[in-house]
Amino acid sequence: MMFLQPWMLLALPLVALPVIIHLINQRRYQTMPWAAMMFLLAAARMARGYARIRQWLILAFRTAVIAALVVAVSRPLASGWLGLAGGQRPDTTLILLDRSPSMQQREFGSERSKLTAATDQLVQTLTTLGSNRWAVVDSARQEPLAIESIASLGDLTAATEAGNSADLPAMLESARDFIRDNRSGRTDIWIASDLRANDWKPDSSRWQTLRDDFQSFPQSVRFHLLAFPQTASGNVAIQVTEARRVETAEGAELWLSLVLTRDGAADSRLTSPVAIEIESARSVVQVEWVGPKTELKDHRIPLPRDHRRGWGVVSIPADANLADNRYYFVFGEPTPRHTVIVAEHAGVADLLQVAATVAPDAQTQATAEVVSLAQLPAVEWESVSLLLWQGRLPSVESPSQAEAAEQIERFIERGGQAIFFPSPEAAMGSFLGVSWGEWTDEAGEEKVATWRGDQDLLVNTASGAALPVGQIELRQRMSLEGEFTPLATLGGGEPLVGRVVSGTGAAYFFGTTPAGEHSSLAADGVVFYVMVQRALAAGAAALGNTHQWDAGRTIRRPVEPSRDRGEDTAESEWVEGQAASTDTWRKLAGESSALSSEYLYQPGVYADGERLLAVNRPAEEDEPSTVAPERLAELFRDLDFTRVDTEIGRGGGLVQEVWRPVVMAMIVAMMFEAGLSMPRRGRDGVPAP
Amino acid sequence: MLPDRRSRSFLDSGVLARLGSLPLFARRPMQGNVSGRHPSPHRGASVEFAEYRKYVPGDDLRRLDWRAYGRTDRFYVKEFEADTNLRCCLVLDTSGSMDFGSSGVSKLEYARRLAGALSYLAIEQGDAVGLTCVAEGIVRSIPPRRNPVHLMHVFDALESARGSGPTQLSAVLHELAETIRQRALIVILSDLFLPPEELRDCFEHLRFRKHDLAVFHLLDPLEVEFRFSRPMRFLDMEGGPAIFAEPSEIADRYHRALAEYLEAMKKAVQEKAVDYHRVRTDEDHEQVLTRFLVGRTRARGVR
Repeated sequence: MMFLQPWMLLALPLVALPVIIHLINQRRYQTMPWAAMMFLLAAARMARGYARIRQWLILAFRTAVIAALVVAVSRPLASGWLGLAGGQRPDTTLILLDRSPSMQQREFGSERSKLTAATDQLVQTLTTLGSNRWAVVDSARQEPLAIESIASLGDLTAATEAGNSADLPAMLESARDFIRDNRSGRTDIWIASDLRANDWKPDSSRWQTLRDDFQSFPQSVRFHLLAFPQTASGNVAIQVTEARRVETAEGAELWLSLVLTRDGAADSRLTSPVAIEIESARSVVQVEWVGPKTELKDHRIPLPRDHRRGWGVVSIPADANLADNRYYFVFGEPTPRHTVIVAEHAGVADLLQVAATVAPDAQTQATAEVVSLAQLPAVEWESVSLLLWQGRLPSVESPSQAEAAEQIERFIERGGQAIFFPSPEAAMGSFLGVSWGEWTDEAGEEKVATWRGDQDLLVNTASGAALPVGQIELRQRMSLEGEFTPLATLGGGEPLVGRVVSGTGAAYFFGTTPAGEHSSLAADGVVFYVMVQRALAAGAAALGNTHQWDAGRTIRRPVEPSRDRGEDTAESEWVEGQAASTDTWRKLAGESSALSSEYLYQPGVYADGERLLAVNRPAEEDEPSTVAPERLAELFRDLDFTRVDTEIGRGGGLVQEVWRPVVMAMIVAMMFEAGLSMPRRGRDGVPAP
Repeated sequence: MLPDRRSRSFLDSGVLARLGSLPLFARRPMQGNVSGRHPSPHRGASVEFAEYRKYVPGDDLRRLDWRAYGRTDRFYVKEFEADTNLRCCLVLDTSGSMDFGSSGVSKLEYARRLAGALSYLAIEQGDAVGLTCVAEGIVRSIPPRRNPVHLMHVFDALESARGSGPTQLSAVLHELAETIRQRALIVILSDLFLPPEELRDCFEHLRFRKHDLAVFHLLDPLEVEFRFSRPMRFLDMEGGPAIFAEPSEIADRYHRALAEYLEAMKKAVQEKAVDYHRVRTDEDHEQVLTRFLVGRTRARGVR
């Protein structure tokens, strides 16, 4: 049992009061000469059975009454959550609220979602526990919001559903900064989450830093996790992977690719009616499928020829989670794909140009220009989708290349893609923290052992088949140095392809070139061509005025001349890049209750001037894997951490004050005590002679 | 009547005057040495006809009933009842326990009043009165006498009696049963804090000796009610060990022990036909004596 005012338990020794009074009373005896000793002796000799028990019972009840009184004054709480409220009332209570779409999962027959259940339970529990100061860190804004009272938590926008994934490490960092900046005293941090692995990012190195920081605080910081780990079996989620407008002989068509996923038992056949609504026109497609995932590829919907850009929404019938039943999309005319090629090696430049200019379909216009270093400042970067670079890396530290390097960095920041191939010479500087090492000859023609087939340039094809990356023969290669995400590695663990994300774009670094003396990239052209085209498509997508936008997606501030960025530190520097600019957004579709300040986090379609944005939950949000309890315990290792698994349907708070039953027990004990102490009349008098 | 006219604390002349109209009767025939108002087991010269008896040689011819002879032609002697005086032996318990009194009057003082009044009444109606003070043994013994001067001795003895020491009442009663001549009125004034079985034997012994036995069982109100609100340390007035007790805790058992004792006492006195009077010392002693005397009048013994 826990207590809201545990210091009152210091009064527990008062239970000895009846005993002390009894002893004092005995010391206050009177001495009296007495004649009828024979009756006293007889009484003393008599079996004391019940009388003795009665006396002990009276003592026990009196003791119990005082104990119950002390316990009631200490405001006991009923909960199986040990250590919840032990100690004194916290100075500050921080609530970390996971608002991600997965938290909108409902129970069968219940209107309450995990998020509302968490909010209700937190309000009730924390109202009971109390605190001097309250602050909420929600998963959308990730900034502490001070609130007057915990009762207002349910009314906050910060407690409503959002479309973005949570980033628990970032929320904890925000909480850490709040504690540090406000010099708060004893702090309780309450985390309400459904433990989704993509929200918790358990592999992030930030956890170690957080652990160290929280441990270094002089004040006590306790973590309480309100976990909703239940997954909804049979929940179906829908996502649009691609929506593009294609000109046909008859007019135009919208080619829509979408993915359906479901949780739990996936061996049964399922028919999902997918409603596709393009602005006001609605059609329904019946999708029959088996397994955990299915994809509807290039479903064609006729469009009027003059309907050049627009938006729509796909939806499936309501199930356990309403947040993943709708997906918004926008479409427009394909952006011309323009590639800039900078190559020291003329042969390589030709290869790159071929790979960049051969369009994958007839509708796509692909152009490429080969420029020299000197021509770089004249390039119109606003229309460039991809930069293919072979040779010495542009360095901001080099006076001659500084301007070009900054231009390229800005190009990548705004969403452009760049692929860098090494120069045949050594020592070629560094860019975005990555540099090449020395050339090595691969006598045994080493091949790629592992590569990321789940995302990025080397992702598997739409049919699920892997790219033949393993067939690429390497004759000469350079080692990659710096901090990057490896996409392909050799048998010895040496990276061959690395990626560095910057802003909304990305830069890829190859450890070899397509030239025949270095590798068979060009000879076995499939992988090479696919990679270039995928990078080109990604770059073109950033250029267009229709964008699929992950809710809460942020961009980086204008780049600072810092060279030592790693992935994790880079993530920690993310800011709400578009928060200010959502003022100009106009909502075309989405939740009617969404506030304009929340547009960035609310799924829907928004118009920002000429641009159309479809804001949706990130794809990872449909991944149902959760953080295992052991892993979770590991994340909070050496910290004061308690976890309680709760449910949506659970009523009331996690803790309840139980002083009323204690007082009732006290009254009952008093009544028993009175009954036992009452002199029995039948024995008081002396029988008549 | 009182030769020295000295006032005695235990005597109330008003009470004595009022009780003077009530005779003190024996319930059984007494063997006195002078004529009195009590029945005697022997034939005598009273006016009350007893029986005819056949003449045997040696009988006084003056007592022959000539009329009977005339009617029956046989010699009969006519006999009459004899009236005699009684010897009243007062046995006063002067043990330590008799000194207890919660209502302003100790049991001993109360016993003095009863004994003084009874002595006076007995002497006044021409009976002999003796006194035996008992504690650990016989503390003082005054043999029964009839004259008023003797009464002063009895009063003096009563006045000088002090409660102390343990009680050896049963031994003394057995002794008295043997030493007092047959057919006396023995009045015991005591709190009788003895096992009823012991007393029963004493009563039986006294009855066997054809004594008329009266008992005034004196109890203090506090001893009966046992009302205390605080823990008490009870000191034995007869020198025994002290007892520490929580009265509220022990009261019920005390009352039970008292009730059992009184029940056993009641049974013993009923079996042995003892004229038993349980007296609370907060009662008026005049009423107690009136009840005693009236009761004896009703139960006046046959010859």
